This record gives sequence, C-alpha cells and structure tokens, in this order.
Amino acid sequence: MTIVGKSLPRRTVLRGIGTTLALPLLDCMVPAFAATPKPIRRFGEVYVSMGFNMPHWTPPTEGPLEITRLLRPLESFKDRLLVLSGLDSRPAEGRDGGVHPRTQTAWNTGVSAFPTEGPNTRAGTSLDQHIANEIGGETQLPSLELALEPAGLSGNCAFGYSCTYLNTLAWKTPTTPLPMEMNPRAVFERLFGASDSTDPSVRLRDIKSDRSVLDSVVDKIARLQKGIAPSDRAKVSQYLQSVRDVERRIQLAEEQVARELPEVERPAGVPATYEEHAKLMFDLLVLAYQTDLTRVATYLEARELSARTYPEIGCPDPHHPASHHGNNPEKLERLALLNTFHIGLFGYFLQKMQETPDGDGSLLDHTLLLFGSGMSDGNIHLMYDVPTVVVANKGFDIQTGRHMRAPKETPLTNLQLTLMEKMGLQMEKFGNSNGELTMISIG
Amino acid sequence: MGRSLYLTSAGLAVLLSVALWPGGVDLGAAPGSPAGQRADLAPAAGGDAETRRALLDRYCVSCHSERLKTGDLVLEGLDTANVGPGAELWETVVRKLQSGLMPPVGMPRPEQAAMDSFIMSLERALDQAGAANPNPGRPVAHRLNRTEYSNAVRDLLHLDIDGAAMLPADDQGFGFDNIGDVLTVTPGLLERYLVAAQKISRLAIGDPTLPVSVEQYDLPHLTLRQEDRMSEDLPFGSRGGIVFQHAFPVDGEYIIKVRLQRNAISLGSALRGLHRENLIDVRVDGHRVQTFTVGEPKDDAGQSVVGASELEKDGDKHLDVRLSLRAGPRTIGVTFQQENWEFEGVGPARLPVSSYGHTAGKSLSNGDYGKIRAGVDHVQVVGPMNGLRPAETPARERIFVCSPAAVAEEEACARRIISTLARRAYRRPVTGDDVELLYAFYQGGRSQGDFDAGIQAVLKRVLTDPEFLVRIEDQPENAPAVYPVSDIELASRLSFFLWSSIPDDELLKVAEDGRLRRPDVLRGQVMRMLADEKASALVNNFFGQWLWTRNMKTLRPDRFQFPDFDENLRQAFLRETELFLQSQIREDRPITELLTADYSYLNERLAEHYDIPDVVGSHFRRVSLPGARRAGILGHGSVLTVTSYGNRTSPVVRGKWVLENLLNTPPPVPPANVPPFPDGEGVADLSVRQRMEEHRKNPVCAACHAKLDPLGFAFENFDAVGRWREQDGRSRIDPSGAFPDGGKFDGPATFRQGLMEHRDLFLGTVAEKMLTYALGRGTEYYDMPAVRAIARDVAGRDYRWSALIMGIVNSQPFQMRRRS
Repeated sequence: MTIVGKSLPRRTVLRGIGTTLALPLLDCMVPAFAATPKPIRRFGEVYVSMGFNMPHWTPPTEGPLEITRLLRPLESFKDRLLVLSGLDSRPAEGRDGGVHPRTQTAWNTGVSAFPTEGPNTRAGTSLDQHIANEIGGETQLPSLELALEPAGLSGNCAFGYSCTYLNTLAWKTPTTPLPMEMNPRAVFERLFGASDSTDPSVRLRDIKSDRSVLDSVVDKIARLQKGIAPSDRAKVSQYLQSVRDVERRIQLAEEQVARELPEVERPAGVPATYEEHAKLMFDLLVLAYQTDLTRVATYLEARELSARTYPEIGCPDPHHPASHHGNNPEKLERLALLNTFHIGLFGYFLQKMQETPDGDGSLLDHTLLLFGSGMSDGNIHLMYDVPTVVVANKGFDIQTGRHMRAPKETPLTNLQLTLMEKMGLQMEKFGNSNGELTMISIG
Repeated sequence: MGRSLYLTSAGLAVLLSVALWPGGVDLGAAPGSPAGQRADLAPAAGGDAETRRALLDRYCVSCHSERLKTGDLVLEGLDTANVGPGAELWETVVRKLQSGLMPPVGMPRPEQAAMDSFIMSLERALDQAGAANPNPGRPVAHRLNRTEYSNAVRDLLHLDIDGAAMLPADDQGFGFDNIGDVLTVTPGLLERYLVAAQKISRLAIGDPTLPVSVEQYDLPHLTLRQEDRMSEDLPFGSRGGIVFQHAFPVDGEYIIKVRLQRNAISLGSALRGLHRENLIDVRVDGHRVQTFTVGEPKDDAGQSVVGASELEKDGDKHLDVRLSLRAGPRTIGVTFQQENWEFEGVGPARLPVSSYGHTAGKSLSNGDYGKIRAGVDHVQVVGPMNGLRPAETPARERIFVCSPAAVAEEEACARRIISTLARRAYRRPVTGDDVELLYAFYQGGRSQGDFDAGIQAVLKRVLTDPEFLVRIEDQPENAPAVYPVSDIELASRLSFFLWSSIPDDELLKVAEDGRLRRPDVLRGQVMRMLADEKASALVNNFFGQWLWTRNMKTLRPDRFQFPDFDENLRQAFLRETELFLQSQIREDRPITELLTADYSYLNERLAEHYDIPDVVGSHFRRVSLPGARRAGILGHGSVLTVTSYGNRTSPVVRGKWVLENLLNTPPPVPPANVPPFPDGEGVADLSVRQRMEEHRKNPVCAACHAKLDPLGFAFENFDAVGRWREQDGRSRIDPSGAFPDGGKFDGPATFRQGLMEHRDLFLGTVAEKMLTYALGRGTEYYDMPAVRAIARDVAGRDYRWSALIMGIVNSQPFQMRRRS
C-alpha cells in the first residue's frame, strides 16, 4: 500500500512517544487521497452454552431497555445494546440425547447437525464464515476462532454425535469444522507467525521463506495426485486448497508488513484461572481487530456439555448439571451467579473494545457483535426465546438501547440473516430462516 | 447364567477339522495366497439356511415384518442362504443377538442352545460370504495427528518437542484421534505446520540467531502436596518441586527462574510457607548449580524475626539462576531440602478448601497457614542470550551424517544429508527428484548464510512436505480389486500402529529389501517393536482412548465433596494405569487379565487412597492386591473417576462404559426431555441407586435402563474418585444386579466372574477396537469376518496380547486394500 501525501507512518509516532503501545489508525495516517476512508466493519460472536436464568435476564417491557440482574454487567453499554426476545433455535430440537451438540451447531448455522460419531460430520456454513467469505479476503486471516476449553476428550462426549460438534462454533463449509484455539501463545503466533520479533525486515524474510516452501509443496502435490487412489484424491485436494489459502494470506501479509505491528510480548501459555484465560483471549482478540489481522471472530466462552466448575464465584457444580436446575431456588441462584460471571467477561471485552481508538471512534463503534446462548431454559433444553444481544450502533442501521420481542416462532436465523445484510452481504436464506428481521433496522 | 459364544480351544480344534474357516488363521500362510483364501465357497448348506429362516420367522418377524418395519428393520422374506448381499444387515442381527438385547424382554425367546447355534451358523455363513468376496476396505489418506507428528519429529531429528503447544488438538472418530477420515487439513492447521517447521528447524540445527524465549514448566496449582520426594531424578532428602527435560538449542546463557506457590491463584496473593526457612536446590543434569534460602528465620522462641508482608508478596522475585550452558537436552531439577521437624499443633496441614481462589488480594497471616509448606509453582527457562552455534547435540548428530571440512565438500555432504533425511521423513527409498528439490532449498539457505543455514532450510521444507505430514498409499495402475499394500507401506502401517511414529532404519531396510512379508521376519519385527520403549505409545494412545483414561489428565472432581483429591492422587492414578498396562503387554499376559489381575502399581499416596497398608514412599512399585475388592483395571482410580461426574457417581455412565468398551454393545441414545437427576431436599438421604428407581418404575425408561443401570451398580462401592465405601448417604450400598442376558452378580468380585463368562464377547470387543486403532478407520460390516477370525485365533492362543497384535498385523484389512 502506498501512502500518498504527508501521512505519518505509525513508527514515527511510536518513537516519539517512546512507548510500545499499539497504535490506532490516527487521522493523519490515512492516505491523503482518501477523503472519507471506507469504514472498516468488524464482526464477532460470543457464545455461552446451556441457557440462562431467564427470569433474571428478560427485560420486563418492550421498548427502551431496562437493565435486569443479568444485564447489569453490560449496563455501561446500554446505548449500544439491542436485547431480543422471542427468537427460536429450533433446528436443535429432537427426541434424543444429542440435543447439546445440536444446540451449539444450530446456534451458528441454523441447521440440525448430522448425527454421526464418525468422520462424516455435516452441518452448514456458519454465520461468521459467510461473513468471512465476504470480507475475510481483505485481511491476513479471514477469521479467528477462540475457545477456553480443550477439545479432544475421549469417549463420554455426546450421544451419537461426534465431539467435533461440541469443539467448535465455526463451519467453513458444511463439512469443514474449524478448530478453535485455546492457547494464547498459539493465538499470538497465528497473528504474528514464527517470528518472535515484529520487526518488518524479519517478518518479510520469514514471509518469503514460507512462500517458497508452499510454492514447492503445490508442485509436489500435483505430481503426487497421479499415483494415488481416487478415494484419496479428495483428501489431497483438501490439502492443496489449504496450501493455496495460506499462500494468499502470506501475500497479504507481505503487503501489510508496512503497517508496523506494535510490540507485544508473547504469552507464555495458558493462564491458571478461567478468568485470566478468558480475559487474555479477549485481549488478543482486541489486538487482532486492532491490527486488522482479521475482522471476523467467534469466541466460545463456554461450550455445550461443559463440565467446568466455578467455585471461585460460588458455583461449584459442573456447568452442565448446574444448568439442570430442576427449578430448585438454590440451584437457580447459583446459575444466576454463573451467568453473571460469563456476561461480565463479555462486558470486559466491550470495555476493551471501547477503549481502543479506531479511525474516528473506537473499535467498538465499528464492530457488530452477537452474544447469546442456544437455549433459554437449559433445564428442559428449551430452544424457544433464546437469550440474544446484539451490540451495534446506528452506523450499522440497527436500533439500540432497546428491548424488542420478535413475533412468535421467529427463527434466530432471521436475525442472523439480517446481521449479514448489515455487514454488506446479500443472502436470501441462512439455515432455517424464513425472512429478515426488519424490525431491528432504523431506516 | 453366562453364555460362551465362541468355542473353547478344544471345540475349536474339532470344528477346524470339520469345516475350513476362511480368513487365513494360519500364520504361516501369507494373505492372498491360495492357502489364505481357501474356503468352502459354496453357500451354506440348505439345512442351516432353513433352520435360520425358521427361527427368524418364529421369533423375529412378528415385529420386523414388511408391514410393521419395527426399528426400520425388515427380516421377513430375506434370503438366509445367500447372506452376502445383505451382509450389513445380518451383521447387525448378529450384534444384537450376541448382546442379549434382542428379542426384547417380555417377548418369546428361543432356547439358549438354539440361539447360540443360530448365531454361529449365521456367522459362518457371513465368513464364507466374506471369503468369497473379500473386502479389506481402505483407510483414507491419513494426516499425522498431533501425537504422531511429535513422535515423528522426535524420531527423525532426535529432538523432543511439545506438540500440544505447537498444534491444535485433533478431532476424534469412533473414540480415537487417529482416524484418517476425521483428520482434515485446514488452512489454519497448515499455517501452524509452517510455524512449527520454522521453529523446529531452528531448534534442531541450533540457530545462533534464535531470539530469547520463555518456556514455562508448571506444577498444578495449590493442590499438589510437595512434602515428599517427587521423583527418582531428584536427590534423596528432597521434597517437592519439579524435574523436567529442556532442550537447550544453542550454547549460551540461560536464566532459570523459580517461582513459588501462592495462597490463591489470583495475582497479588501471598506466598505460602515462608514462615519458616526453606532451602531451595537447583540442579542441572544432577549437579547442583545454585541454592537459595527463602523464608524468615525465627528466634528461639519460635517468633518471627522479620515482618511478614513484604516477604509474602515478593519473596520469590530473586530466585533466578543465570548460567552458561551447552546445547542439548538437559535435566533441570528444582526442589526443597526436606526437614525432619515440625512445629507442634500449629495451624492446618492442608490448605483449606475455601481458600481456593477466594483469597485474592488478602494478605493472610502466617498463623492461618500453619504447617503448610512452601511449594514451587513454576519454573521458567529464559534464553538464549549470547547464543553460539553448538558443536554437538543429539539432534545435530542425527542430522549431520557428515561434516564438510572445506567448501568444496559441501555439495556432496549436503546431498548425503538430504538423502538420509528424506528417506526417513518420507518413509520410502529416495529418488533423484527428491534430492534435487531439496537441494534447491539448501542452496537458497546457503546463499544467505552458511552450510548450517542451508540444511536448516532443507529441514523446514521437509517438515511441510505432504509425504511427511500425510500417509498416502499408492494404488498401482493395474491393481486387482483387492491388492496387498506394498512392503514399504506395510512398514508405515506397522510403525504407526505400534509406535505412533515413523519406521526406524531397521524396519525400513527390511521393507526395502522385500523381506518384510516373510512370516518369521514380520513376527520378529513386531516383537522387536513391542519390546522397544516406543511401544509405550500403544499403551498411552490406544488404551488411554479406549478406556477413557486419557481424560484423567483434565477432570476436576468437586473440591468440597472430595477435599482429599489432590494432584498427587491424579498423577498416581495416571501412573498406576500406565505401569499396569505396560506390564500386561510386556509380559504378554492374557487379555482377560486386564479385568482380573491381582496386582497393580502403587505408591504411598495411592495405597492410602485404596486403604492398602504397608506401602511407604512416593515411588511406584508392584503390589499384590489384597482381598477381592480391586482387581485389574476395574479397580483403578483412573477408570472409576473418568466414569463419574465431579460430585457423584453415575451408574449410567459406568454401565454405558461397560457396555460400550467391554461388551461391544453401545446402548441406544436416550430420548429428549429426560427430567433432571433428583437432588436436594427429600432425596438427600437416598443413595444414588435409590434415586434411580425412576428408571425402573417408568417402562419407557426401563427398556434400556433395566439392563444399563445394574452394570453401574456393581461399582457403587467405589465413589466418584475410586475410593471404597460401604454407605451412600444413609443407605448401605447395594451392588447387586444382572448382566443383560441374565447372569447375576452381587459385587465387584462376582461382577468380574460374570465378565469372564463373557470373555469371548470381551475379546471380540478388544479385537474390534484395536483393529479400528490399527487401521485408522472405523470397522465396517465387511471387517467382521476378519475380526471373528482374529478373535478365534487369539482364543486358541490363550488370549495373549501378542496373538492379538499379530492377528491384526496378519489380517486382510491390515495387509490389503480394496481398489477404488
């Protein structure tokens, strides 16, 4: 990217201040020929599984938003919130025990997961990946997937459903689930590669090296294809496709090296507590947005069937049994504490996004976020009226500071289809959608 | 009433002489040879087919008719003579009957003898059909999973890497993470491979421009008791701490930073155990390099001399050791000197549960923590500073098979290094094209640096090659419908099965020479590989996943219910199971001994948990188990904990585990809207068993749970962390029940006896699971003749593990492929 006119490269400012803070895109850095730069839009989703203590969540009236107990951690962002009631995530329904893997899958794809414990998992392209397909080409990483629980548990996973459905939210294609990263150090490396240093000359050298390796690999695969069995060609083609994908990214990285990455210390590993871990991962997500390494992300704060306990906040039951409160008042109270904790971490993320300057505002101003769960009352696996919050502003043509109730039997996917439209996509259908949720628009 | 579904060895001999079994039982017959494919190819004689038809019509078709189609299964009018075309359906029938789940309770059943003979005749017919139309299936091109990748790097370069840190976890299929179909290659993963290749190549060569990095080695927080000697590699008279191997990439300066445990996980909480003096001992390769004294001295009256709060906050900030070290793997040990005296009656010996995470920010006075000792929280290795290229490390010795003395020798030496590397990495003889391709990368690296830089570039390229990362098997142009995999490919199948890694030079050579398929040679190689240390991969990966014991690493039992469950116990559980399984394989015990073995491996902590006296010390040793409570893996804390929830036992989970993993009959999935487990007031005094009465009262639930729950009740004497108990709530434990086919038991000992009466079903289960693992694909109906043949053979050889492993290695699915 060439900078025309008297625009400041970021490094100048860095030296002047003598700090190693991440640099926002100051107005004087905007290329002179672009009078009003095209606004960069970002998208993110944060998921908490197995429902909430709904009486403490749902605002009592429709209209201007009233903060309830569970919404309190987000109170300072009231003007940016659109709380939606009445949305259903029906594809996850079913008469068998696979409800949890299906719920997680349905929330982000609008499709009922294909029942299999084997390799032939199938869902649908997920919400974030549709958006990534549209805008992901402009960034080094089309999307980022973050989680807080390790995948790869053996056995006892899900009834007739592969653990894959629980391990991820993002589906690049109906048959390609994307692995989610839980190690902050690995996320750092996804952002900044094998280079320990963010020095541009080092980055460039490593980038060139990677390119020559990949070019050579592409040639080799072409030669290999000839001798192998037809049934294996699909697998090898998948390999080839991935190689091409990475090559494209590397090309972008090369173009963006001039963008001067801030100096950030590489994390050593996974922090000791859940809270520290969650916050560090949110910090890295903010960094990824800020340095424009990606514009689309999914964050699995708690996955379906999670057995994590939270004694430090007063909820010693594993998450899944805790969600089966049986309408017992003590259990309901513990669930409310747990929900508050999870929602509070999302609030931490919003705070960081708001504190990070971006262009003429903050990162939060230019990001559309979806937060929620695939169940409302986790006790009975209820998929009607699932808790949903959109964080936006008028720049996205979405009414905020409100609580709205959708008409009966409106699928969640209608909202998601509408969000895609706000992000600039033209899609007719998503999952089990049957129209757009026009009520959320301003105009 | 038990039921023996296969014949005893004597019966087998009789039957062998009467009818020829297809599938190649004879180890001397090479698969694909006439002897291996001999069979009675005519369809089953009319008598058998008619008997089968009659039995079906009488007992099955009333539900499974054309009209009713119960369970989507139609048995009416099917051809019972020619079972080949409907093999998939018939195999399902066999499975359901073997488990006793069909006919359902309440419906008329044939006599046991008639049932047994029906199943046997159906199996025989299926085996014959299988021999007539062999189908060895084919595994899909198989990407190395994370474990295999780490092991491959270890064996290729003699460099230990932390694969879990470099690569994401793999998805699972059929209970295992080495299933080819499930192991996809995504762009994200490929990027990680690139990053890993870069890192590994620099570490292996010893790149002096490596920047400073921090590697952290953690101990579990808070609940690891550091009061005893932690390892054989730490000195006598020490307590607590950690010992680990770290690969120092270059000669240079490094800092070892020791940080101590704090009272709570949040930052800012106080360091523990500093009310007394502690001597910290830091060692490299067994030699002491530094000692520190931490903690406040006391005067004669036991009163603190120095103020507490500063010490509590920052007392470990200076515990850094800066050293010059030569490159290579080194053992770092950090430990405390043991003290043999205690203050009398001062404070708790164990950390109170409520302090977990709750004491953030509070500064606790020493009085609250009494006897609790200081502990190591983590050790960091920082470096290298002022790095120099190393002269020698195991990795460099492995890679540099020659060293050029002058520039003129560089090309020839580079080509030699490249050939050796490529052959091992690609697991096949190297071609000129291979060498040329890699030589170009050598030149690129050489032009920007020196000889080593050239080799480093080669390494990076090799580690991202599809022939390294993926196991691809060729299909020759004119291959017949069923063809043997090449010897080279067989070598890889063997090494990934037994070692989860690449073949070693000896195995490769035997394959390249075309000798691998000779029965004596093949057997010799398998035995050699099993005796090798690398076979611990089989224990860790196969058993760890089959028995779910891998989950023991991450489970967290409820701290309030089980305050005694600490990290020492967790590690003991894992070690016990690991050592036990290793001994079973090494000593080639019968497979059934997994369930009945009267010994295990214990240390003091574990023996205390199991109420077994007279075991002292933190090291593990073989112990005869007293009494009949515990035997084999069913008495292991690991198994009992991974089949429970964090705060209570679950007979349903344990029953499911037994059905799925031991009896090969996974239960059907539960319906929707199952009400929650009864909890809270009113039922608090009831045992888990009593609370599950609902399962039996409600006929919809009872259909499955009447057979499922009792299998879990057998273990109710073991709580959710494997400790023996006689009571649950206010009730005495009642461990009685029955197997799905009626055999009764009244506790763990009789349960094990009952399992032994189903030993052939158990054997079939193990065979099928291990075949899945060995092939890297789920078993299909067309594999069942091979599974049965393997099981029959193993039963005839005293059920030994070596017989099972050889049986799998010699089987059709392992040695052959179906053309696509």
